[in-house]
Amino acid sequence: MSYQQHTHRATTPGLTRRGLLGALGLTALATGCSRVSTADATDGGNLLERLREQGTVRLGIAGEIPFAYIDRDGRLTGEAPTVAKAIFTRLGVPHTQPVPIDFGSLIPGLRSNQFDVIAAGMFINPTRCAQVLFSDPDYQVQEALIVPRGNPKKLRTYADIARTGASMGVATGGIEIQYAKSYGVPSGKIAIYNDQLSGLEGIEAGRMDCFAGTSLTLRNLLATGSHPKVEMTEPFIPVVGGKKQYGAGGYGFRPGETRLRDAFNSQLHRLRDSGELLRLIRPFGFTETESTTLTARELCG
Amino acid sequence: MRTWDWSYTGHVLPDLLRGLLVTLEATALGSVLAFALGLVWALAFRAPTRWVRWPVGAVVEFVRNTPLLVQLFFLFYVLPTTGLTFSPLTTGVIGLGLHYSTYTAEVYRAGIDGVPPGQWEAATALSLPRRRTWTAVILPQAIRRVVPALGNYVIAMFKDTPMLAAITVLDMLKQAEEAGAESFRYTEPITVVGLLFVLIAYPTSLLMRALERRLGN
Repeated sequence: MSYQQHTHRATTPGLTRRGLLGALGLTALATGCSRVSTADATDGGNLLERLREQGTVRLGIAGEIPFAYIDRDGRLTGEAPTVAKAIFTRLGVPHTQPVPIDFGSLIPGLRSNQFDVIAAGMFINPTRCAQVLFSDPDYQVQEALIVPRGNPKKLRTYADIARTGASMGVATGGIEIQYAKSYGVPSGKIAIYNDQLSGLEGIEAGRMDCFAGTSLTLRNLLATGSHPKVEMTEPFIPVVGGKKQYGAGGYGFRPGETRLRDAFNSQLHRLRDSGELLRLIRPFGFTETESTTLTARELCG
Repeated sequence: MRTWDWSYTGHVLPDLLRGLLVTLEATALGSVLAFALGLVWALAFRAPTRWVRWPVGAVVEFVRNTPLLVQLFFLFYVLPTTGLTFSPLTTGVIGLGLHYSTYTAEVYRAGIDGVPPGQWEAATALSLPRRRTWTAVILPQAIRRVVPALGNYVIAMFKDTPMLAAITVLDMLKQAEEAGAESFRYTEPITVVGLLFVLIAYPTSLLMRALERRLGN
């Protein structure tokens, strides 16, 4: 056995190593090419025409209730896909196809052409605006915390978490981690969970003092079953650098696709003004308090 | 579009190296646990009574035939409900160590089986006590034989540490993902993480090969 290994090693190493290097080089080349071909479109882009031809638009979703998720029957549903489907149908693209991906990969996924639109209820903020072309928001929410029942540490806002030195959890890639850090919560106190549900499990297992998320997400999370050990705090609007942080979400397009974005926006405004928008998203827990007239321009700062 | 940004690479490197430390810590502690527990399992396999052999065999088979990720989830989310809570890193070390101990047990078993029967007979002829037979005759020869195989499991464990991200341990890969989620640039952090894995795993495997040559007579 040992003898065989020795002969093997003596005869082939040069060849194997060269083959390996070649393969690596090819992979690098292929990656390089695909990046060039997805470079930002100029003069407004022609994505809408291409989508009309295909009849199908690919929506990037992050499996987050109630924004965008796959339901028990395996169907794409949620606030964002429902609205996107209504708008794209009006734009002449009758079919939608979900591309589930984790939240943190939505923007890189959009930019690397894995799907055409982010329809995950993504918050619009200046950092994201630098990477993605946003539609105007179609809803606005506040932040809230899930805490053990009775709220033993009396936590209501990020400021309370920072002051009391409490430990907290957030979902990976969410905006909450940046809010918390800006309030001075040390990163050692912030645990990053893969999704909202594991965060809820973490609270119920007594792993942290609170879990942060949007009021809407958390309310729907708690509605998933009986959770006698935890409760949700009163929603609040975080303030960063003296500015109120509105949690307003919209749809993300590849930079340069301004013509598609503008067409999408005008249909969105029409839906909103006719009251159709609220009718569409009410089943997902959205009410008048969540409706908004903010624009992407205001939110991108 | 820029494909590689050196200043961004420099910006994320400290976080990645912090993650590397966690990764190495988990691997080192996990290995110690896997080596120790594996030996316990291997010796229990040879127990004179089936009342020890069978339950231990069942536990080892169960752990080996369920995914590490599921075990980590269980240790992290279910165990605390029984009142037993460990920190995320400790949970990860226990998970890795326990999981890999079921593999190292087989390695030890092979090593022990590989000791020539003559050695057992000689120990009996010299009427060495049972304990002394093990510690002075069998185990030194058995372990010497299996060091390279054990080393390979250390490398495998090293590459499995990103799974600890599922239980909120900020290992190297999770740090890279977080950096990417904040800046939307994944190319640099993920590439650096891949390189760091190779930079550590490849020399380690060379070391194992050298050890194999030295110890393999």
